[in-house]
Amino acid sequence: MNFELERASYGVDGTPILTAISLAVGAGEVVTVIGPSGAGKSTLLRLAALFERPTDGAVRCDGTEPWSLPRDDRLALRRRIGVVFQQASLFETSVARNVDAGRRIRRPWSSRLRGFVERLAARWIHGSPTVDDRTLEALALVGLEDEWDRDAASLSGGEAQRVSFARALAPRPELLVLDEPTSDLDPRNTAILERAIGRARDRDHGVLLATHDMHQAERISDRVAVLLDGELIEIGPPERVFEDPRDERTARFVRGDLLYDDNELLA
Amino acid sequence: MPLDALSDPTYLRSIIRLSLTVSLFAILLSTAVSLPVAFAVGFADFQGKRFVTAVINTGMGFPSVVVGLLVWYVLSNRGPLGTLNLIYTPEAMVISQLVLATPVITGVALSAVESVDDAVRDAAYGIGATRADVALITLKEARYGVITGILAGFGRAISEVGSVLIVGGNIAYADGTSKTRTLTTAIQFEVRKGEFETALVLGAVLLVLVLLVNGIVLRLGGR
Repeated sequence: MNFELERASYGVDGTPILTAISLAVGAGEVVTVIGPSGAGKSTLLRLAALFERPTDGAVRCDGTEPWSLPRDDRLALRRRIGVVFQQASLFETSVARNVDAGRRIRRPWSSRLRGFVERLAARWIHGSPTVDDRTLEALALVGLEDEWDRDAASLSGGEAQRVSFARALAPRPELLVLDEPTSDLDPRNTAILERAIGRARDRDHGVLLATHDMHQAERISDRVAVLLDGELIEIGPPERVFEDPRDERTARFVRGDLLYDDNELLA
Repeated sequence: MPLDALSDPTYLRSIIRLSLTVSLFAILLSTAVSLPVAFAVGFADFQGKRFVTAVINTGMGFPSVVVGLLVWYVLSNRGPLGTLNLIYTPEAMVISQLVLATPVITGVALSAVESVDDAVRDAAYGIGATRADVALITLKEARYGVITGILAGFGRAISEVGSVLIVGGNIAYADGTSKTRTLTTAIQFEVRKGEFETALVLGAVLLVLVLLVNGIVLRLGGR
């Protein structure tokens, strides 16, 4: 999917949060949005996930403006986008059922009802749950294929976030929208998720990622976008943005001296 | 002689059957009304939401005698639904229990729905869920709270005396079997006669019934 924000703005009660953002993500491309807290990264990702409608400007998916479509057609577009948040927010069920959830809700109600009855019957007759190959394949991408029958509540924070990633990936979305998915993770789980993001890119998924971690942005991005006070001040390849920024504010942000004045630090 | 009233098993069976039938029917109807209301209020963000929530919560403590009087007035011969001839029938008792249980189930279910983290709803939307899917996922996440609400409503309904006495009349047929006599009104009746042992036995039967229904519902709910 070729995803595009075209001079998209967003505000609440007249207060601007994002101003005239233009940004594109192509198939097989990782675009990372960096910026200080409160810059509007999460709001930008919510626009990209079609959770919110821009108050001005446009969103385009393969040239189509989703917000001008009827609800069902917009749902079809939304289903081509997978979303992972900072918080894993797994459902209270098994790992496999979590990963399978996206595919399950795409089935017609009759098929879902039949699946429910079959699952109950399988549990009562065989006494054990079952799993299909697609679910295992998604779990294998995050190294958790052997944990499919575990209760999601028993997972560690890092494992839960990896399952959340597999859940987003299982329906094979064309664009992945990832809102600081590794900010609460240890280095090992972060590395596993970064590898999974790389594999998703290799499979031609577009990835729009928000992160606080500039090293991560440098490691995995094709392009880095710098967001400040709701404005996109710079976008380009990571080596160029980090080593030779065109905007003075980007240079100050990369150096770490944009966010605080002396009084703020002393306070 | 004490416990005379229980010497005929058909009498006891008839009041147990009526108690269960009336309360289960009332709870079934009440759940069908309460859950959509709880989801509509819990999901929506509208002006006056706090007022609606306060009204529901106030309804949880509605005096049962007042409910009985109101239902009696509506169903009595002079009331707006008098032509339906429902007064002093099990149907009238179902209506009064429905009125009493609905705020309880709605209030507890609403609280359970609102306690589901917004992040779970976002996660559901993030995998491509429709509003109906999100409601279903929220119901699954809130299921223990919803079940607690249904059980609390059942408890309120089956233990009800005042309103079912007013609208049902505690009537037994000539052969002694129950027309509108439930376990609670039978207990009240036996106490008035001074038959405390009989009342105590009926009370024990009521407790066992409530325990059984709670056990079955919790088992079905996976707890």
